[in-house]
Amino acid sequence: MLDTLQMLITVAVIALATFTTRALPFLFFGSREPPAMLAVIEKNLPPMILLLLVIYCLKDVQWLTAPYGIPELFTIGVVAGLHFWKRNAMLSIFTGTVLYMVLVQFNFFSFL
Amino acid sequence: MARNGEKKKGAGDQNKDLFTIAFKTTIPVLLGYIPLGMAFGFLLDGAGYHWIYAFIMSLFVYAGSGQFLAVALLSAGAGLTEFAIATLLLNFRHAFYGLSLLEKFSGIGRVKPYLIFALTDETYALLTTTDVPQSSSKSKFYFYIAALDHLYWIAGSVLGAALGSVLDLNLDGMSFVLTALFVVLTIEQYFSSEARFPFIAAVGAGALSLILFSSDNMLLASIILGTLILIGREKSIQRTQKKQEMQKIQITEKSQKIQGVLEIQNGIRSIDTSIQPVEDKIKEEN
Repeated sequence: MLDTLQMLITVAVIALATFTTRALPFLFFGSREPPAMLAVIEKNLPPMILLLLVIYCLKDVQWLTAPYGIPELFTIGVVAGLHFWKRNAMLSIFTGTVLYMVLVQFNFFSFL
Repeated sequence: MARNGEKKKGAGDQNKDLFTIAFKTTIPVLLGYIPLGMAFGFLLDGAGYHWIYAFIMSLFVYAGSGQFLAVALLSAGAGLTEFAIATLLLNFRHAFYGLSLLEKFSGIGRVKPYLIFALTDETYALLTTTDVPQSSSKSKFYFYIAALDHLYWIAGSVLGAALGSVLDLNLDGMSFVLTALFVVLTIEQYFSSEARFPFIAAVGAGALSLILFSSDNMLLASIILGTLILIGREKSIQRTQKKQEMQKIQITEKSQKIQGVLEIQNGIRSIDTSIQPVEDKIKEEN
């Protein structure tokens, strides 16, 4: 258990470290022209990172034990299908979330 | 407001509209950050710290997974260097986020430092996918989105730290709202960008990182891996383009040579034909 001063210093260190990671590219390319390669990468990074964030959300799924990630994959399928069909972000997100909460809380896949 | 005249009022209304649009954009994050923030606050409370620290951390650190890590390190009695290194490593992915925002954030004005500070996964996802409403200020719109997300996170964590042990809400599965948000934003990226390769790179890098790295490290690992794949592909495209250009030059050179040969042949032929009558004449004379 840290005392008040230790705790405040620790929080300051964590805050500084976090801000550093976020500010790094802006500090580095603030005064110089980014390389040409970066311009191409820049455009392709957001779609790649977003899909990686989806995959990241599945990082703790136990694929080899019941229910084998089926609630997650099933709900993602529903969200994606709904969004391709209606393209209404709110509808896709909330339908998916409510569906997932029901699936998990009522343990729908307990038969597996 | 009223005595400032109609023009100002009009601008105020427009601001309100912009704020409303930003709020609507961030609703999924609100629903995700409240339960997640509460989980963090609840954990910090459980580690024996006053709720005010949940508030201070969420205000000044503002990093979901980073703050969870901090609770774990606090409980483990880690030293300052460990806090610094672990946080740097865990949040290093954010450096890649900034890379794709250099252009978007240039000329955004005095909110830039705050936008950089508040660049969480979710805010990054919203900023890179949401279009700024027409004839509105980009810096204001981005600021509203970033600040609202920040506010939700603070509210959630304080709520969790102060009431976590009292409330007994069944929020199981509610943080799936963020997964759904990322799925929807990925599809939006699919619609708005013609590039398909980034998705292939993501699936490859993601699957590989899930297998090779622990779940704590997989996001950073997969982003680095994916970026390397993007760079590699870009380089190979440039190389084949260069090759094709070289081939084109070679082909034109060849065709020029062929053209030359043809011309020479034609010349010979014309000489032949001009010689022919003379030869015929000689034959006739003989």
